[in-house]
Parts: sequence; C-alpha cells; structure tokens
Amino acid sequence: MLALQLLVNGVLLGGLYVLVAQSLNLIFGVMGVVNLAHGAVIALAGLFTYWFTAQTGASPLLAVPIAFVAAALAGAVGQRLLIEPVMRAGGSKSELLSLIVTFGLSYILIELALQLFGADFVSVPYLQSSWTLGSLAFGKALVVAGAFAAGMSALLYLWLNHTMSGKALLAASQSPTGAICCGIDVARVRVTAFAIGVGLAAAAGALVIVIMPVAPQTAADLNLLAFVIIALGGLGDYVGVAIAAVLLGIAQSVAGYYLGGNAEYVLPYVLLLAVMVALPGRFRRVR
Amino acid sequence: MDTKAPARRLPALLGGAVILALMAAMPLLGTGYILQLATDTLTAIVLAYGWNLISGFTGYLSFGQVSFYGIGAYTTALLVIHTAVPWYLAVLVSGVVGALAGLILGPIMLRLRGILFALGMLGLARILSVVFNIWGFAGASLGLSLPSALMPVPIYYATCLLALAAFGITAFFTHSGFGLDAMSLNEDEEAAAALGVPATRVKVIAFMLSAALPAIAGGLVAWNRSYMDPSSAFNPSLDLQVVVFVLFGGIGTLWGPFLGTLILMLAGEQFGVSFPNLQLALYGVVVVATVLAFPGGLNGIANRFGWLRRPVVRAPRGEIRGAPPPAGAAPPPGALLELRDITVRFTGLTALSGVSLTLSPGETLCVIGANGAGKTTLFNTITGFVTPTAGQVVYLGQTITALPTFRRARQGLARSFQIPRLMPSLTVWENVLLASRHGRQADRAEAHTAWVLEALGLAPMWSLPASRLSPGHQRQLEFARVLGLQPTVVLLDEVMAGMTAEERETVRAVVRRLPEFGVAGTILVEHVIAAVVDLCDRMVVLDFGRIIAEGPPREVLANPDVVKAYLGEAL
Repeated sequence: MLALQLLVNGVLLGGLYVLVAQSLNLIFGVMGVVNLAHGAVIALAGLFTYWFTAQTGASPLLAVPIAFVAAALAGAVGQRLLIEPVMRAGGSKSELLSLIVTFGLSYILIELALQLFGADFVSVPYLQSSWTLGSLAFGKALVVAGAFAAGMSALLYLWLNHTMSGKALLAASQSPTGAICCGIDVARVRVTAFAIGVGLAAAAGALVIVIMPVAPQTAADLNLLAFVIIALGGLGDYVGVAIAAVLLGIAQSVAGYYLGGNAEYVLPYVLLLAVMVALPGRFRRVR
Repeated sequence: MDTKAPARRLPALLGGAVILALMAAMPLLGTGYILQLATDTLTAIVLAYGWNLISGFTGYLSFGQVSFYGIGAYTTALLVIHTAVPWYLAVLVSGVVGALAGLILGPIMLRLRGILFALGMLGLARILSVVFNIWGFAGASLGLSLPSALMPVPIYYATCLLALAAFGITAFFTHSGFGLDAMSLNEDEEAAAALGVPATRVKVIAFMLSAALPAIAGGLVAWNRSYMDPSSAFNPSLDLQVVVFVLFGGIGTLWGPFLGTLILMLAGEQFGVSFPNLQLALYGVVVVATVLAFPGGLNGIANRFGWLRRPVVRAPRGEIRGAPPPAGAAPPPGALLELRDITVRFTGLTALSGVSLTLSPGETLCVIGANGAGKTTLFNTITGFVTPTAGQVVYLGQTITALPTFRRARQGLARSFQIPRLMPSLTVWENVLLASRHGRQADRAEAHTAWVLEALGLAPMWSLPASRLSPGHQRQLEFARVLGLQPTVVLLDEVMAGMTAEERETVRAVVRRLPEFGVAGTILVEHVIAAVVDLCDRMVVLDFGRIIAEGPPREVLANPDVVKAYLGEAL
C-alpha cells in the first residue's frame, strides 16, 4: 500500500513537472534556445501568486491566468528585444549567445524577485486536506495543481498537433527554411512560441507554490529540473517529455521517502549527469 | 593589415610595467579596505583567466568552474584544520587537487558539446554543493572555521603571484602552437582533428589548467576569510561574475579578462555602495548588453584597440620566404592505401558494403557515383571519422582501422572537406601553421607553412582572417592546409562542386601539381565527371554502397552498368 501511495504522489507531482518542462521544451524545440531564465520566471510567478493570495484572499488558481498573460506579454517583448537579435548570428553560435543572454536575464529576474518579495521561502496554504480512497490519501492541493498543469500541457499538445497555427509552429521548429517557403512567418512564430513558453512557465510557477516552498534562489533548481526532464524525454519530443516528467515525479517521491530530502533534491542532477554521460545522443534535437 | 607588429609591443610593455609597479606598491596604501579590495579584484582576475582558458580558447562554455573554486577552498580548509601543513603549501595542494579533478572530470564532461557542456557543468556545481551540504567531515551546511590568518599582506602577494601565473598561462595560449590547437577547437573540432590536432588531449589540458587556477584561488580565499561554507564555496553567482567580466573585457584574449574584471569590479564596488542589493542585476544587465552590442561574436574592449588584440601565433618576421621540404624518404613499396572488404552500417542503412580498393604509388584515383552512393562515407572511413562495421583499412602496410583521425593525419593521410571547413577567425597563416605543426614537417613548421603559402599564392594575405578571403582563395587555403601536413596520400572531397569552369581550372592545376608537394597518391571524389576524367589514372564507380565498375576512365564511362546507374534504364 505504501508503494502505491508513493506512486500516486509521484504521478501527481509528475503532472506538475510536465508543465514545468513542457514550457521550456516548446522554446527549445522551436528556437534552439535553452532559456536559462525559465526557472526565474517560475519562481517569480510563484512569489507573485503568494503576494496575490495574501493581498486578495482569492484562490491561487485565479493567479494562474493573470501570471500567464502577464508573462506571455513580457516574453513576447523580451524575445523581440533580446533573443531575436542574437538568433541572427545563426547556428551553434546563436545557441551559445542566447544561452549567455538568458543566463544574464535570469539574474536580473532573480534580483527583481528579491527586491519585490524578499529572500524567504514562502508557500501558499491551499486545500491542505486530503481525499481518501481506501487507505490511499490524495493531497487535494497536489491533485488540483497536478491536474491543472497536466491539463494545460494536454492543451498545448492538442494545439501543436491539431490546429494550423500549432502545426506552423512545429514546422518552423523542424525546418525554418522549409517553413518560410510554405509562407510561414517564422519570426512571428518564434515570438509566439517564446511568449507561450514563458506564459506557461509562469502558470507552472503559480501552481508550484501551492505544493512546495519557493524563494528567488529556487530558480536555478527549477531550471535544471526542467532541463533534466527534457533531456530524459528527448528534446522537442512532447510525449517523451510528459512520460519523463511523471517518471521523475515517481522517482523523487520514492527517493524522498526512503533516502531523505537530500536524495530527493539531488536526484535530478545525478540523473542529468548520468544521462549526459551515458547517452549523449539523447540530447540531439528531434528533427 | 598587420604590418606594424613590433610597434604595438611598446604600449603593452609600458602598461605591464605600470601595472606591476602598482601591484607591488599596493600594501603601502594601507592594509585595510583598499588591500582587501585589491585582493578580491585579483582573485576575480584569476577566476576570469581560468574560465577564459576553457571557455574562451577552446570554446567550451562552462557555467560550473565554481566547482573547482569550491573544491580548492575545502582542500585548503581541511588541510589547515587537520594537518600541520603551512598555508602556502595547502593552497598549492588545492591547485593539484583541482587539476586532478579536472583530469578526471574533463574526459567525461568534454564529450558534451555546446549548451550541453554548459548545463552539465552547472549541474556538477549543484551536485557538489549538495554533497558538501551533507558531508559531516566538511562541516555540512555550517561549513568550516579555520584558524585566523590575519596576514593580509602575504595573502595579497600570493594572490598577485597567482594572477601573474594566470596571465602567463594565458600568454602561452595566445602565443604558442598549443594555444593555436586550443583555439582551433573553438572554430571546428572535426576539421581540427583532420589536421592532426589531438582534440581530446588539448581540451583536457586546457580544462585542467582552468580548474587548477580557481582551485588555488579558492584555497587562498578560504585561508584569508578563515571560514568556508557550501553556499559561498559553490556560489553560482561567482560564475555569473566571471562570465560577465570576461565577456565585457574580451573573451579569448590576453588582456580582456584583466581589463573587464578591473573595470567592472571597481564600478561594481561603487555601484554596490549606492545600491547594495542590485549588484547581480547589474551584472545581468552588462551580460545582456554586451552580447547584444556584439551579436556577431563576442568582442570585448580588448579587441577594440589594436595593441591589445591577439597577435598572430608565431607570425613570420618580414617577408614570407619558404623553402621546399627536404626530399623525404620514399614511401615503402607496395600499395599506399588498401581497403579490405569495408562494410559500414548506420542504423537501418548500409552505406558501404564489401568495398575493397587499392591505391598504388603515383596514382590518382577517382571515385564517382550518384548522391547517396557512399562516397563521403568512404572518405570518412579512410580518415577515421567513421569506424567500419567490418573490414580493414591498411595504410603503408599498417592496419589503421581503429586509429583516431588526428593520428592518421599526422602520418600523412590528409583530406579536404566538401565545403571548406576553415577556422574562420584564425588567420591564413595560422590555418596552415595548425596543420604544419602536426604534419610530417612539424620540426620546421614555420618554414613549411611559408613555403606552402607562397606556392599557392596565398602569401600576400597571410595575416587576414580566413573568413575575409574570397571563396576562391578559401578553396586554395583548404588545399594549403592539406599540404601543410606534407601528406603522402591526399583525399579530395568534391573540391570542384559548384565552381565555374574558370575556378575549376585553378583547382585542376593544383591537383596536377600535387606530386611537387611530395604527395604520392590522390583520391578524388567528384560529381563533375568531365572535370576529372583527364586527371585520373583509374576510376571507381560506387552505387548504393557497392563498387560496380573499376578501371581506366574511358572504359568505365562506357560501361553499361555505369550508364544505367547514372541515367537509368534505356527506353
């Protein structure tokens, strides 16, 4: 029964991770940019949600759309001003330059979060009780956040695969030149992808805060967490990433129970290095 | 463009002397705040130079060099606490431990390229931070307290010495052939291997040096502060600072890390006094602004002024005068190159199947075939970019099937690439010198380089970066690099693709001259059959990975199977 409980917790956590990773995956898949400011966006949105619920007493779920829209707008502006110029360098050079730009950006955002919300770890108390089914307990917050996040990831997947605009985005990620020849405005697609990616990251942040405490300095951990999941699932592979997110959620919940909090915390990094060293081919972009 | 090479030595020497005098006199200004600031600045300079070695020269962008700083800090702290080792020895041991850590981690981490290496190093720093947070012997999250040092002046001078060493190592990188090897990896690692550069060895050495410097710096800081804990030893924002300083000053340059760190440390200090909490945000802004200001490539302030720019490695003095290489020993009798039953399978695709081929001395062999026939795979197998699934490659009577690419190049088996893969930001001279240094004229590399450049008419443009050459000259330079190796066997991969008739004639002239350069045998892969028919002694036709015809060109081209492979069935 314990095993089943750990599995349930892991799957729910994984549902949240899917959104954390998929937003980064979208940006990487379309633009070849590893957005190192990703974790900072999540942390900032989480802290905003904390402030928002404290001020208004409203449900944190209400903060999700607000965070999404605000971050998407900021993302669109940021992409045009900061990322697009670097993309023009082309090839692996632009990948590295964009990495450096988002690296700098992440510190600006972290510093902003520190100024606005302070350095303390905070969390939003929300739906503290559990639903029980037999001897299994389902933490309500975990269920709601996990389901909400998984639902948004599913919407993203449906949009990419079943609408023209989504397919245009996939086309642009698979072959920019080919997409241009089909009359797709690739520059606009990149702005859209970046805006949606950043928006989804913010939405994930608003959900993360109801499950775990967040501080500005959590940004780096969230970053690497997202990257590990993408690496395990396959860059640009949306189904693979969803599976990897759930597996990592389960692995962390099991490791946390048997080996303690440190093991739970360090597990993603160990996995990252193990995968990088053992399966370097896993890191090629799906084309 | 660079005709006044000696003139720029003067400002650099003068500047160096002033800096040295200032460094030596610093403790006279007081031993309090000022000296501490000077020590911190020099420490940052060391970290900047260390990062610059791996990320600036070899191009492996690391966001985790702080790992070695932390390792060094803890090594010194533990040694001082638990043993009677004096601090200066403890600090040196830190350097050795750092270099060893680099030696162990380097071959693993450096298999990753580009963003993966950057993120892998970031992950490594996090793992170490967690390990030291829970490791009881190292004080876990509380860290370690050392006996108070209270010796700011000796520590300051030790940091000075370390900074000078870091400068010296960087000067070695900008002026030596080894540094040229390192820089070539930043430009194109595969092409470098084809020119005989031992890529893995070079980057692991660079990585070790760039690990040892921060490790010593970490040791000095631990001793100076008498305290070390995981969050300051593995502080990720240290890497941010270093990246900012180097980018701002000029990545991959000798003076960039120094100038960038000096300017930004002092500016940051002032800024930090007025806005104590915004320093990291400021660095973030500087990083973003620097990249956006130079989107085509990161040129910091050190590249703005001529005398700060990197000089051409082992540049020729005065006019270029080369001498032809002394007549080498003739290759041993028998076949130059022999392929025995080579099969290459990629997942689900057989690129070559049972290919056997011989190249005799004095022969020019043409390999033709439609797209996807396996021509490039054939070259990749011969030069070691692809390991065959079955079969053997024999070169001068010696089996080389498993030999790494760079060793084959060093033994005189040279190739050109379908699209010239020059080192775009290295000069013409450096592009050829890179090959000469590893080829069979390595002991007279400069003279050989000069001779090849002269013979191919590239001497007047020796100091231009390869990217500034016209496409025609770039082709010539690709040839020049191949000849820099003084090869015995040359493989030319579609060197005439997409050329005008006139350009083709230039290339054909060079191919005819190859024996003058000591080349004993040539294999040409070509699409444009008309351009090679009269050049080759023998022709081999590949079709779907198999040899379907072989013999004198005229005969082969009349072979019905060949016509079928090219044009399809007659109606």
